[in-house]
Amino acid sequence: MKPIHAFPLAGAILVALAAAPLFVSDYWTGVLLGMTGYVTLATAWALFSGPTRYVSLATVAFFGVGAYTVAVLNETLPYPLVLASAAGIGAVIALVVGLSTLRLAGVYFVIFTFGLAELVRQTVSWWEVNVTYTMGRYVFLPFEGRHIYWQLLALATVTLLISWGIGRTRLGLALQAIGDDETVAAHAGIDVTRVKLLLFVISATLITLTGAIQAPRWTYIEPSIVFNPTVSFMTLIMALLGGAMRLWGPLVGAIPLFFLFEWLSVSFPDHFSIILGLLFILIVFWMPQGVLAKIEDLRKGGRT
Amino acid sequence: MSAALQLDNMHKRFGGLVAVKDVSFALTPGEVVGLLGPNGSGKTTVMNMISGALPSDGGRVRVSDTDITRMPPHRVARHGVARTFQLVRPLPTLTAGENVLLSLAFGHKRHWGREAQAMVEEKLAFVGLGGRGNERVGNLTYIDQKRLEMARALASEPEILLLDEWLAGLNPSELKIGIDLVRHLQGQGMTILLVEHIMEAVRALCSRCIVMSAGEVIAEGGTQDVLSRPAVIKAYLGDDHA
Repeated sequence: MKPIHAFPLAGAILVALAAAPLFVSDYWTGVLLGMTGYVTLATAWALFSGPTRYVSLATVAFFGVGAYTVAVLNETLPYPLVLASAAGIGAVIALVVGLSTLRLAGVYFVIFTFGLAELVRQTVSWWEVNVTYTMGRYVFLPFEGRHIYWQLLALATVTLLISWGIGRTRLGLALQAIGDDETVAAHAGIDVTRVKLLLFVISATLITLTGAIQAPRWTYIEPSIVFNPTVSFMTLIMALLGGAMRLWGPLVGAIPLFFLFEWLSVSFPDHFSIILGLLFILIVFWMPQGVLAKIEDLRKGGRT
Repeated sequence: MSAALQLDNMHKRFGGLVAVKDVSFALTPGEVVGLLGPNGSGKTTVMNMISGALPSDGGRVRVSDTDITRMPPHRVARHGVARTFQLVRPLPTLTAGENVLLSLAFGHKRHWGREAQAMVEEKLAFVGLGGRGNERVGNLTYIDQKRLEMARALASEPEILLLDEWLAGLNPSELKIGIDLVRHLQGQGMTILLVEHIMEAVRALCSRCIVMSAGEVIAEGGTQDVLSRPAVIKAYLGDDHA
């Protein structure tokens, strides 16, 4: 079987990636860091949204909650506990949100999640202004870029392993069935609500951790930085470009788009959103199933 | 001996419309019973209340000795009640085999791994799709999709099978295949509730029939007897023919 052979290869690539900061400049470590962050976000997003086709725009809500938790707690708790708290808070929010919204269908869910991100941002801003009287916080953690990068690389690996593992279990089959036809899935014996909720919580927790780990990078954090909705849209486009239904899809989409977005945001800072939107439209029209599916189709077409 | 499936005084209303009114009947184990009636008489609503797709507004459903009233569909399925859908609903991103595996993995008794794979093949072979587990469901013909629908229902290893117009839309030779398949299940002792409009199938398969009209049971008894009653003919064909 192919996946077995893929393991040593993936392991070798992982070792090379982990060793990279020892050989490249700080600038490139920063680039690798950003890229790994988006690979994690896109893979974690696709974990839930890929098979169920519930398009979530709440990515940045969880991402921001993770970063903000670190900003608030970094001077009061040891770092591992800070991360654990962030994960816990992300999971609880996801549980509450999931319980109240996963019965919403299609476009209502999209709008709700978009609204949620804004709601969380406004709530945090309000709280900081009216209760704690601090707008913006400093993160003082003794981490260099490569330390953050290694943590993210570990998280990306864990995320991919979770995605791979779920695809192998009956949970993966259940998810795919739910994406196809919820009614049939339920009549086959699947507790549809529970499966969706479980995956939403796992996905959101991983996204929260991505935000938490990246927090020290900014040093100074305020709501408009860590709750920037562009993060949600970029994650979505990356996962869709590669193919949200496949293990490697989000990764395949995230890497080239990350570089493209970096270049665009430097070269065309004023037109960045327009280009992002156009790209989104093109991807959805040309390859709604993603690049990997497109390549597979072409190869199949070539053979017959 | 307790009934395999027992409905007591089932009620369902949609707003001001009473869709099902005081419906009671029972199936003994191994019985194949037809649930008949003109369109809109409430048959599918009854099916949906049994399978958990719709919550009932009153009454009770029991399977063997378990009360399954108002249970959600996945729990009903795990209590040994499987159903097919009026219009076939194969899951398009799964292969034929995975469609069947789904019910094995989550149904009445939960199977997974190598054991389940062997059972998938067995279920597919039973409905006449042997060796075709790797096919995409989109490539299957209509009768084969019907077969797959049946295999998926059987894969949850039910004690009671609800067939909602499973034979509808088949041509005469396919209909014969379909009837034979249900008869085969009957031979294995499966309890089946058959919602059906095709009288040929009803006569061939059902020893007993329940006829509904406007949400109520208007006749119940041996198939020949029930089908010749004036009230039943009237419900189906109108006053002039009674």
